[in-house]
Amino acid sequence: MAAVFPYWDLTWELVQRELRVRYRRSLIGFAWTMLQPMLMMGVLHIAFSTIFRFNVDNYPVYVLAGLLFWNFFSQSIVTSMNSLRANGGLIQKLPVPKSVFPLAVVISGVINLLLALLPLLGLLVVTGHPLRLSMLFLPVSIAIAALFTLGAGLLLAPLAVFFHDIVELIGVILQIVLFLTPIMYPMAIVPERWHWIIRFNPVRSILEVFRDPIYYGKIPPASHLTVAALLAVALFALGAFAFSRTSRRITHYL
Amino acid sequence: MHLAAPGETVLELDRVSLCYRLAKQRLPSFKDYAIHWVKGTLVYEKFWALSEVSFSVARGEVVGIVGRNGAGKSSLLKVISRVLEPTTGSVRFDGRLAPILELGTGFDHELTGRENIFLNGMLLGRTRREIRERIDAIVDYSELGEFIESPIRAYSSGMLGRLGFSIASAWTPDLLILDEVFAAGDAAFTRKCEKTLSDFRDAGVTILLVSHSAPIVLETCTRALWLERGKLIADGKPEEVVAAYDKSTYETAG
Repeated sequence: MAAVFPYWDLTWELVQRELRVRYRRSLIGFAWTMLQPMLMMGVLHIAFSTIFRFNVDNYPVYVLAGLLFWNFFSQSIVTSMNSLRANGGLIQKLPVPKSVFPLAVVISGVINLLLALLPLLGLLVVTGHPLRLSMLFLPVSIAIAALFTLGAGLLLAPLAVFFHDIVELIGVILQIVLFLTPIMYPMAIVPERWHWIIRFNPVRSILEVFRDPIYYGKIPPASHLTVAALLAVALFALGAFAFSRTSRRITHYL
Repeated sequence: MHLAAPGETVLELDRVSLCYRLAKQRLPSFKDYAIHWVKGTLVYEKFWALSEVSFSVARGEVVGIVGRNGAGKSSLLKVISRVLEPTTGSVRFDGRLAPILELGTGFDHELTGRENIFLNGMLLGRTRREIRERIDAIVDYSELGEFIESPIRAYSSGMLGRLGFSIASAWTPDLLILDEVFAAGDAAFTRKCEKTLSDFRDAGVTILLVSHSAPIVLETCTRALWLERGKLIADGKPEEVVAAYDKSTYETAG
């Protein structure tokens, strides 16, 4: 990962390109980043409040905060996994540190997440949700989420070069993780005997550190924060290690 | 820029071998891989693109590499430019490297010529600031005039080659690595490229080049290497090595 530093300008250029590609072709590009989770929220709101009938105070805020985190996390992972193959031609011709590609993906994901926070703020105002100073804690939450996601991306990106179908497999796994994470439902509706599954889900720790300041208007408890930070550092260390170990072989398989 | 003193060794290869592990079965799917792994039937065919290649190059030498297709010439250049890591052995080189394995690697066809100068320069490891300092010189050199502001998808292949060469040669490197890239643009531009290369040579830049053209090796090189099936089989004066190589190809053909 340290090899990235001299290539910082390149990383930033790739971030800009990633964002341009995403937004160039559609006039409502930026609006779309904000609209997509809003629409999803609307659908879930109708489904869960009328069909499943559980009660969560201001469910739209609860679910939108969770979805923004989830979109960042899952989209960054899938795009990171494809980033090495997408830049295969380059990697075979120039001595560019390969980690710039997943790194650029995660940075542009953070920028998209920040943009998507704007309609969430609007929703907080519209629904009369109390705006607390705890929102100022979000940069820390996002940093933890970004480190965690980058770790996952670094771990999985080389695998996607060796096995093309792993991207599909991860897509399925992500779906399962989504349902095992209290994003669309509150913990309260989960039967007691299943709680351990969700407690052991590391994604939940990262999610809650992000959602607490928005939804509950509180800074996450120190114990949760410590667990989330440790998970993020550990996954990043593992990902960086795995990436550096496999990166010399990647070029042969592209 | 820090050029080593004349005669000093700038590049040293010590028993460099490069092995491509070609899977005998094509297993790009994780499922197939897992099945074969469990059964213990993973078969690899090892292909040694380079075996035990050792040589050292002194500052200011212009080394031509000859050999048949598949002899390992491009692999050798990739190992020296750090695109591929050797399987065993070591490459020692300190300094600024300009690998031109292909002109305009990483060009983005949607971007203008000017934007591509930045992108390509950064891919070559330059910072935005370094590129800004040279941009006018690069544009002048490319002779693209006002086309520099147009998206390069409108460029002819000659124009792309000119742009690529202008960027790659904008900074004087310590070691220039060329893989058959002389055919950039028309005759006048080719002469300009040759002039730049000879200026580099006069400035004491070490040059490694692969060429299928015996006259280029004879005219420009001070030393020639002959690779055959990944092994270095001759290393000496260009006239002698090229003569021996020509004789061998003639005998094989006859």
